Amino acid sequence: MKGILWVARVQLVTALRERETLFWFVIFPVFILALLASVVGSIGKEGEMNFDLTLVNLAKPSSASVDFAAIVERAFEETGKPPAPGKQPLFTLHRPAPGEDSQAFLVREEKALRIGRRAVVVVLPEGFNEGILGRAGGAAAGPSGSTGGRVLVYYTKGSDASEIAASIVEQVLAGVDQRILAESGRFQTAASVPTETRWVGVGATEIAYVDFLLPGVILMGFFLSGLFGVPGSVLFARDRKILQRYWVTPLEVRQYLAGFSLGHLGLCVCQFFLLLVIGRYAFGAKVLFAELVPVLFLVLSAVTFLAFGFFIAAVVRTANAGMALANLLNMPMLFLSGLFFPVRGLPLVLKAIVYANPMSYLVEGLRTSLGVGAREFPLEVTFGVPLLWIAVCTVVASRRLQWDVGR
Amino acid sequence: MKAFLALVRAEAVLLLRDRIALLLIFLFPLVFILIFGFLMGGRGGPQSARIGVALASGTDSGALEAVLEGAASLRVTHYALSSALEEAVAKRDVDFGLVWAGEKLVFLYDPSRVQENFAFQQLAQGIATDFNLRRQSVSPLLAAEKIDLGKKAAANSFSLLVPGILAFAVLSAGLFAVSGHLTAMKERKILDRLLVTPMRPVHLLAAIVVVRLAVVYVSTLITLFVSMTVFRVSFDVDWPRYTLFVAASTLGMMGFGTLIALVVRRSSSAGYLANILGMVMMFLSGIYFPIEMMPSVLRAVSRALPLTYMAEGMRYTTGVAEISGLRFWVVTAVFFGMAAVLLPVLARYVMVPERR
Repeated sequence: MKGILWVARVQLVTALRERETLFWFVIFPVFILALLASVVGSIGKEGEMNFDLTLVNLAKPSSASVDFAAIVERAFEETGKPPAPGKQPLFTLHRPAPGEDSQAFLVREEKALRIGRRAVVVVLPEGFNEGILGRAGGAAAGPSGSTGGRVLVYYTKGSDASEIAASIVEQVLAGVDQRILAESGRFQTAASVPTETRWVGVGATEIAYVDFLLPGVILMGFFLSGLFGVPGSVLFARDRKILQRYWVTPLEVRQYLAGFSLGHLGLCVCQFFLLLVIGRYAFGAKVLFAELVPVLFLVLSAVTFLAFGFFIAAVVRTANAGMALANLLNMPMLFLSGLFFPVRGLPLVLKAIVYANPMSYLVEGLRTSLGVGAREFPLEVTFGVPLLWIAVCTVVASRRLQWDVGR
Repeated sequence: MKAFLALVRAEAVLLLRDRIALLLIFLFPLVFILIFGFLMGGRGGPQSARIGVALASGTDSGALEAVLEGAASLRVTHYALSSALEEAVAKRDVDFGLVWAGEKLVFLYDPSRVQENFAFQQLAQGIATDFNLRRQSVSPLLAAEKIDLGKKAAANSFSLLVPGILAFAVLSAGLFAVSGHLTAMKERKILDRLLVTPMRPVHLLAAIVVVRLAVVYVSTLITLFVSMTVFRVSFDVDWPRYTLFVAASTLGMMGFGTLIALVVRRSSSAGYLANILGMVMMFLSGIYFPIEMMPSVLRAVSRALPLTYMAEGMRYTTGVAEISGLRFWVVTAVFFGMAAVLLPVLARYVMVPERR
């Protein structure tokens, strides 16, 4: 037992001393957590998104009493102000300088949009005010009937930022439209039908993105530890004949294996608490892990990826080959599991990978047990498939893994 | 020249025998393309949203039916009972639901679809706005006309992602090509033996560069071809500029790899460091997440990363995005400059016999 604990301690201390280990097991998961929380988590949140928007008003003030173009301009000016101190405005507005030729400015800004320096360019064309008056007077019934009241929204298809910005512009315009209609007495705001949002399914409450993300990042940390850490440690120790030195001591392979596994699980525990603390205090995650089923899934995940690491170490000859195989498996296993992206609508071949991937079951099991994910597989399957993987990996590793090259 | 050609041949044979290196150079970008191509093609969003609708009998639902019929981006499924609709939303048979009992529009969402609900909520907002106008028999005064100014080849986000993945493949191969290969040669004492022959170190370096350059170029062509045939995306490739840019960025990254070779001794450490740098750059360079949507600090970091400009250049040369001509030439020149400055450093300080 003493030998096992000693190996466990060595394994843990060595891992914590290695800069590569610290990067993959701590810095990289935290980096992914921060990046996804700040980029994906900010989508749709006021004060956390900011797009460069160009607004060009080519409409001449109408002879009528109302300058509709000015109303639209004011609406966009409002979006250019931060909603609260320290928050970002929705749009950073770019407009022609006083006295600047609007057409020349527009040409320049269209070019800026094309090369990605603007997310969207909004143009109120000539005759905009007259067009609205015409529509209000019943000149045109629908958007395609007349050019009046038309707002040109230039964007770049395929660019996520530009497409999101363009759809927000449409919402702003819809709001202005209702305001103008209401002020002209054509639309009764009070008679509008109210809307209600209802969450159905898991917990029936809205789930914060960071609560959804954190369990996934913790699993990713465990996965990277197993995928890179286990074959890396075992194979490099074997190739550099470090293991050979162990075998001249009374330590047996199974004792080394038990100690190594214990040390690896200790590393996973450190990793879990570190990510939990960072997730909670730096990103405001509220998800609670202190229940039996989530803890069981965490343990199952750590053991599954540990076994998977031994499996990789068993099927390759050298440490470099192990790292190459780990690199190759890394992305498919992470991305084809629903960890970061929804995996519906995949062709059969990739669906087969999703179903064979232990990560798919672990991530679903952990998220559903925490109330932040929907169940697709029965609970027994989410436990059973990883257990099957553990069994297969253990059998393969026990038969093929060579502990001593030089013996 | 004869010696140089012999070295090129030897390097080519070495690389073709190195299954791991070939796997990483050829298979890695293909795996990325296949995964993301199918993931992005199958990802639900406003273009293909499925809405479930439960309309209570006896309610005036004509206006709502007309709005839903007019929404081309929605696939509508009707449910007799709101409870059945709730179940369908929870089971993901539909993306979101709408219940109309005559008093309010109740939109139902599955909270576990954290990443997709924003798109569904936007669609719901549009439905509510149109419904309210139609109910009061009012036509909108303002009409947004969306005009796409993007390149014709940029049909969707995937066509922008492919050049990004190509850029990442160039970065990984370039970073590791020199640093990993030379440190491995040093580790196995092959370099020491070669350096005692009449061979000039610069010839060996040039041979490594030429072979890797050719292999990386072929790898990008294969990846491009697979993405075009499997996912039917089309690119408007400017071949002379594409070739020039792949050469410039590969050389630049080989030069950048010099810095790694200078600070590490083992090939495994070079691999680790190249991997870490590659991963960090991949997520921050606008390949997967738009730079415009990052916090200002990360945007600044992104602008300092070579991969950002590599992805930008690859998108430009494959015809899916524009940059100014001047910017393209400046970026290309900078990459060539990096190679011109850093590769001689490599020859001078790395390609030397190991001290004992």
